[in-house]
Amino acid sequence: MLTFTLRRLALFLFTMMVLTLLSFSLSFLFPGDTVINHSGQINATATDLAKLNEAYQMDKNIFRQYSAYLQHIINGDFGQSMASQSPISNEIIELLPATIELSLVALLIAMLVGIPLGFIAAINHNKTSDNAILSFAMIGYSIPVFWLGLLAILLFSIGLGWLPSSGKISLLFEIEFVTGIQFIDILLSDSPYKWQAFNNASAHIILPACVIALAPATIFIRLSRAAMIEVLATSYIRAARAKGLNFRQIIFRHAIRNALIQIIRHVGLQFANLVTLAMVTEVIFSWPGIGRWLIESISQRDYTAIQSGLLALSCFIFIVHILTDFIYAALNPLARGNNHGS
Amino acid sequence: MAREKIYQEEVFPSPFMQLWGIFRKTPVAMVGFCCFIFLITLAIFAPIISPYSPVESNLEMILLPPAWHPDGNVSYLLGTDELGRDMLSRLMYGTSLTFGLSFIVVVFSLVIGVVIGSLSALTRGFKSSFLNHFLDVILSIPSLLLAIIIVAILGPGIGNTVWAIAIVFIPQFIHITRYAVKEEFRKDYVLASRLDGASNFRILYYSVFPNIVERLMSQATLAQSAAILDIATLGFLGLGAQIPLPEWGAILANGLEHFYIAPWTVYLPGLAILFAVVATNLVGEGIRHALKLRKES
Repeated sequence: MLTFTLRRLALFLFTMMVLTLLSFSLSFLFPGDTVINHSGQINATATDLAKLNEAYQMDKNIFRQYSAYLQHIINGDFGQSMASQSPISNEIIELLPATIELSLVALLIAMLVGIPLGFIAAINHNKTSDNAILSFAMIGYSIPVFWLGLLAILLFSIGLGWLPSSGKISLLFEIEFVTGIQFIDILLSDSPYKWQAFNNASAHIILPACVIALAPATIFIRLSRAAMIEVLATSYIRAARAKGLNFRQIIFRHAIRNALIQIIRHVGLQFANLVTLAMVTEVIFSWPGIGRWLIESISQRDYTAIQSGLLALSCFIFIVHILTDFIYAALNPLARGNNHGS
Repeated sequence: MAREKIYQEEVFPSPFMQLWGIFRKTPVAMVGFCCFIFLITLAIFAPIISPYSPVESNLEMILLPPAWHPDGNVSYLLGTDELGRDMLSRLMYGTSLTFGLSFIVVVFSLVIGVVIGSLSALTRGFKSSFLNHFLDVILSIPSLLLAIIIVAILGPGIGNTVWAIAIVFIPQFIHITRYAVKEEFRKDYVLASRLDGASNFRILYYSVFPNIVERLMSQATLAQSAAILDIATLGFLGLGAQIPLPEWGAILANGLEHFYIAPWTVYLPGLAILFAVVATNLVGEGIRHALKLRKES
């Protein structure tokens, strides 16, 4: 386990270096002055500029510039947003939890729906139900997420009027900002309308989360189906059958456990995909998350915000990646010694 | 005098032809393949067969519903949008933008990826390992996110979108080519032609490529379905094709304001994207299915 941890740590440091290097070089690639792109101070006077040049060591060689930039990042100084002139770190702290919340709920839905369906398909391999589930998976995988979001709004919000179509919670409720994750904040607050707020927040999250969850769910269907088919063909399942265990015992005690381990490995990779879908969905459902903020910054040409937002988002994706790797290694002793993976 | 065949000669079709033989017998895959060919034809001939111009507005025919609606007009088969532009023509031109461009992009990145991938498969040591790690980092970032970053650098526009998506897909092809070439190079038939004195390049060209071409094609269909969705999504977000261009995602974004009174301006481009992606995925699924069957036989 120690070598595994060290190896992951090395990979983490390497990736962080590549990511910061990327965001550092973005300042040079974006139009405009590099130091202004770093700091986002578009209205800086000549004295301010001189100070900024000093702080980012712009007159030194490129390595010194990079280390100065890195120092700023480590101190939590991402510069100012060019559009609103407020510190970007504050905005990210406010917006990132909303995206995390939405993606986690979507991931949960995708796993709860996708994995059982995949198992059912695998158990009925090559039968009608298998084919039906596979065709559903194919269509779900092919639907453009923004179109699905619009159809869902048209049907459930406008047509049937069941669920709200935009925002995180109704404006009537006043929830203090503690962690940024709405559900935890609501439970922590001592408002008398706690449970109404909780219900309202859940009603707001259902529609966007389901829209995001569809495509990852279909991928979970395929993964779990493949894993289950593989497990059912192994000799220990045949041994269990020969021992006289009935079907349910085999599936629930032996097959599902071993198939699940295979799926957990892919959760990290799917999560990256899911966050991208969440970015697009946030635009449609006006969800106050980092995806919508990032896409708005692109159309406003707010380069500092783009740069830091990307860094924050990709760090988050990568941390989830590493975490799932650890969970997988903790659950599956076979994976710890292996050199491949990563 | 013609020589008679004394021995029954066994004919071994090339791996690719074997695959086509199995592929042809899967009806679902063939349906997907026909749709794919249909879309390609449409993408090429859209300017000739479309009845109206995709950008010219006709203020007398605003928000006309499709022809099967009681208020519809049969000369505007799929209705018109808020500027009186014919939806059918716009969708046809959109095929060459969304589908045609995604096809070109995938072919372009396939060629570049295969060249770099096979070169890197033949190198060893630090360079190779660095490339491997670097690719892992790039591949763990979703294609749409990477495309958004590149569009942010280059600025919005359809041309920049195409470049962004081409750059995004190159690492995938490098990775799969590298892996496939390395795997093939370990096999005995490569050793046999090496004993014949063949150079690396010759082995690569005559022995390895015919054996990995279908794996590359299968990856290319996956990439294309992602490319269609990415181009459309960027168009929808206003980062890709700009306003008058009839790109499917952009048409959809354009129809949003009249979503409630003219739902067909949103339904139809969405269906077109869905159709294109499903057709591409069916072809890919057919190739993978045929590959599996060939491996088993």
